[in-house]
Order: sequence, then C-alpha cells, then structure tokens
Amino acid sequence: MRRALPLAGAVLALVLSGCAGTAPAEAGTPSSAPSTSSSAPSSGSSSAAPSSPAVRAVAVEVAGGRVTGDTGRMVVAAGERVALTVTSDVADELHLHGYDLTADLAPGTPATVEFTADLPGVFEAELHGSGTVLLSLQVG
Amino acid sequence: MSVLAHGVGSRTDLPLPLGLALYGAGAAILVSFAVLLLLWRRPRLGGAHSGHPLPPRVQRAAASAPLRRGLQALALAVAVVVLLVALAGPAETDRNLAPWALYVTAWVGLVPASLLLGPVWRVLNPLRLLSRALRPLTGPPRGAARLPALGLWPAAVSLLVFVWLELVFPGRAEPVTVGVFLLAYAVVHLAAAAWFGEDWFARGDGFEAWSTLLARLSVVARRDDGVVVARSPLSNAMATPDERGLAAVVVVLLGSTGFDGLSRTVWWQTGAGAAGDTLSGTLGLAACTAVVAVLYLLGTRLSGRLGRLPLGPQPRLYAASVVPIAVGYTVAHYCSLLLLDGQTTWILASDPFGTGADLFGTAANVVDLRAVGPDLIAWVQVGAVVLGHVVGVVLAHEKALRVAPRAPASDQLPLVLVMVAFTLAGLGLLFGF
Repeated sequence: MRRALPLAGAVLALVLSGCAGTAPAEAGTPSSAPSTSSSAPSSGSSSAAPSSPAVRAVAVEVAGGRVTGDTGRMVVAAGERVALTVTSDVADELHLHGYDLTADLAPGTPATVEFTADLPGVFEAELHGSGTVLLSLQVG
Repeated sequence: MSVLAHGVGSRTDLPLPLGLALYGAGAAILVSFAVLLLLWRRPRLGGAHSGHPLPPRVQRAAASAPLRRGLQALALAVAVVVLLVALAGPAETDRNLAPWALYVTAWVGLVPASLLLGPVWRVLNPLRLLSRALRPLTGPPRGAARLPALGLWPAAVSLLVFVWLELVFPGRAEPVTVGVFLLAYAVVHLAAAAWFGEDWFARGDGFEAWSTLLARLSVVARRDDGVVVARSPLSNAMATPDERGLAAVVVVLLGSTGFDGLSRTVWWQTGAGAAGDTLSGTLGLAACTAVVAVLYLLGTRLSGRLGRLPLGPQPRLYAASVVPIAVGYTVAHYCSLLLLDGQTTWILASDPFGTGADLFGTAANVVDLRAVGPDLIAWVQVGAVVLGHVVGVVLAHEKALRVAPRAPASDQLPLVLVMVAFTLAGLGLLFGF
C-alpha cells in the first residue's frame, strides 16, 4: 500500500523529466551520461510532491574488463531512490560498499539493485570477483 | 579487494561544502597575518623546564618498570592475536579484523590516544619488551654510539614504508598482507634494536616516533629534570628537541595525508591515478611528499636567508611547528574513518577466527554509518584544519622570536606563506575537484 504511491509518482516524474525513463536504450550512449542525469533529481524533487521521489537509474556495462555507462562519480540526493543496473559479460558479483548490497551477475543479463540512498557519503560499487571499480556513488 | 583510499573502509566523506571551505581558508589567512603583526614581540611560551608536577601517584606509576612491562605484555598479547587472525583467520577483508585493527584502530586511533594521554606507544610498544627479553641472546648493542647521529631519519623511512603499504600497495587490505607486514616490521626493528640498543625505538620505530611527536601537543610531558608534568600544549610543542630528520618525519606525514586526500578526488581517480596500480600510486605518493618537502625547505630557508641565519638547521628548527598542521589534516581526513569504519574492528573481535563464536555478544552488530552526520563531519574537518594552522603559525612565530629575537616579523613571511599554502591545499583536497 505505502509503496504504491511513491512508485506511481516516480514513474510520472520519470516520464515528465524524459531522460531517465528509458534506461536500457540510453545505456548505449555513455559519453553524455553525467550531464543528462544530473538534471533528473532537481526536476524530480522540486516539482513533484514531496512524498514521491523519482527512481534514479544508474546503469553500467562491463565488457572485456572495461566499464562503460554511468562510470566515475554519480551524485544523487540524500533520500533518493536509486536503481543500479549492471550488465557484465562474465559471471561476477556486484558489491555496493557501505550499503552492503550485492547481486549475482550472470553473463549478459542485467542485474538491478534498487535502494533508498539514505546513507550520506561516497561509496564505491565494485565487482567482487575481478575487483573492478564500476563507479562511486556520492550521496548528499 | 577495494581501491578505496587509506587501506580499508566502506565509505569516504562527502566533499566539503564550498562556503565552509572558503570560511576556513579566510580564517586561516587572517589569523596568520594577525599573529605576525599583532601578537607578542618576545618569547612567551614555557620551555623544557616549565610545567606543573603531577601528583606523586602519577609519578610513581610513570616510573614503575613492572607496570610498563605489564602494559607492554598486554599489547604484545593483543598484537599476537591480531597476527594470528591475519594469518589464520577468515580470508575476506570484510570478515577479518586484522586490516581494520592495523589501519583504523591502531594507526588512526594512535592520534587521539597520543593527543589526549601523551606518548602512549612508547609505554605500550611490545617490541621494547621483546627486545629486552632477547638482549641476553643478542649481546650488548654495538652500534649504540652511532644512533644519535641518525636522528629521526630511520623513523621517517619506517613511516614512508608504512604509508606506501597503506595507500599504494594493491593488496594492502588483504589479511595476509597485514600479517606479513606485522611480522616483517617486528623482525626488522628487533634486529635494528639488537644492534643500536633500545633507544632505536624512539628514533626508528615510525609508530612510536609519530606517537611521541603527537604527544608534544598533549598536556602531558616529562620536564627536563625527569618529573612528569602538565603544561600547555603550546609550551609542550615548543620543547620538542630539534633533532635531525624531524622535518623528514613531518614531511612524510603531511605528504602522505595529502596523497590520501588527492586519491579520493574525481580528478585523480579519472586522471593520473585512473589505472589504480602500484606505479601511479607510488609516483603520486612520491610527488605529494616531494612537493611538501620542497615547499617546506623553501619556506624555512627563505625565512632564514631574510634573517641572515645559518640555513642548515632552519628546516629542523621549525618542524615542530608544522606538526599541528599535519595533525589537523590527519584528524580531518580520518576522523570519520575511525568513528564509522572503526566500529568494524570491535564487531569482528567477537568472532576473530570466523568460527561462529560470539565472545563479546557483538558479532551480529552492523556498522552504524549514521553514527555521525555529514554536517558534523564537515565542521570537524574545517575546525581541525584551521585549528592546526593557527597553532602551527603561533608556534613558528614563537620559535622565530627565540632564534632571532630582534629580527623584523617580515622575515617570517616565507614560512607563513608556505603554511597558508599547506592549509589551503588541505581544504582544497577536502573540497574535492
């Protein structure tokens, strides 16, 4: 019951802001990712009702040991919902430090962890097996 | 394995808010020139003979050999447990207490412990106990006469090796690395102490030298007649012996903390340090240390030249006044690590070997990363850097008045400018790129 309303609001905000709603499609254009996504939280938090935060989509792909997509430092607002999607060409395990979230990665299959970014700080997301750092998440 | 800075950790601090960074920088610059222009014109701090003697009970405890040996035996027992856990405990860093005990509890915890209680590692150093026990086997120390000439240079090298391990070596967070390091550290320093005598630990053991230097900013001291006294931290710092290599110790600490800050910035992580390998880290650490060394030598020598003073001893004379700046940095960079990730050591201590034990009933606890809020952390960071700067500039001013009582205050300008540069760089690193 309580989850339904924020989710509906999130979908609405995503459609309105236009850029983050099609995460799988835009994942192919890694170069402009930080600039387009940084406008999403401001429109989501200022215009929408306070009880309906947008889900912030963050997506990276790993192929041949190289990481593309939303790499580097991703800045999200405290309290924002974040969906971190990782697609790896080899089996591995995703680990988001601090939040201590993990997800098993099967080759070629996107895996998503969704969470509320309520711990302030800078946290690394890495692959446990290879030790590759995917991105660092800056909350606050 | 993680590429997080400072050995281990699950989070790093948010960049400092711009306003706070600017206020801090402004305050640092303002205070520097106020000290130069407005404050005292003749030495005012106490020297090595100053201080109020502490009660007889404290004197007896400080002089008690059995008490000291007992504390060292206790520290030795803890160190042995950490070593065994490092080598035989769980293989994952997240479940093994050894990396957390070394990089967070011991290395970072040494700072508040020494600032509050005095030279704690000198009292607790388990290697001193082992060295004493091995003395009948190793014979009299044949190199003891040569030790004073080395000054604190061995400690500077010892610290440089440790900060390289902590900040650069890719396998730094592995429990096995910590175990091998602890063993190697013990062997090297026991061998050196066998040759140079027990005084080696004061000059060669990086941890003890750092703790003793930090203790110069505490209120606890030993007066020149051996009595344990309480005195102002400023007088205490002013009484630091100007030993050879003191400047090197300070430069290594300042340079390594600077590199730790640099390696957290996006600028480093996506630029020069993107590879995250040994080479880029070693070069980065070397470059940071070299920049600090060159600036420091430049500042002290230029100040000396303006006052027509002998240039050789200048760097060593002012090294103690840079210690507060190094401490301010250290507190700013590591306080959240100690308060937040430092909880890990105590949680893992409940089940050190991963056997399912729960010795202290804390095994099921999780680290509370909300224990300290980001606003408080930011204020502590700026406060520590600015306070360290103020104390540093005051100490340098006092020292200059002692070295050259009649010299104009403008002679101190180069050194003060270098100190301002250190502080602004420190705030800049906390602000991020």
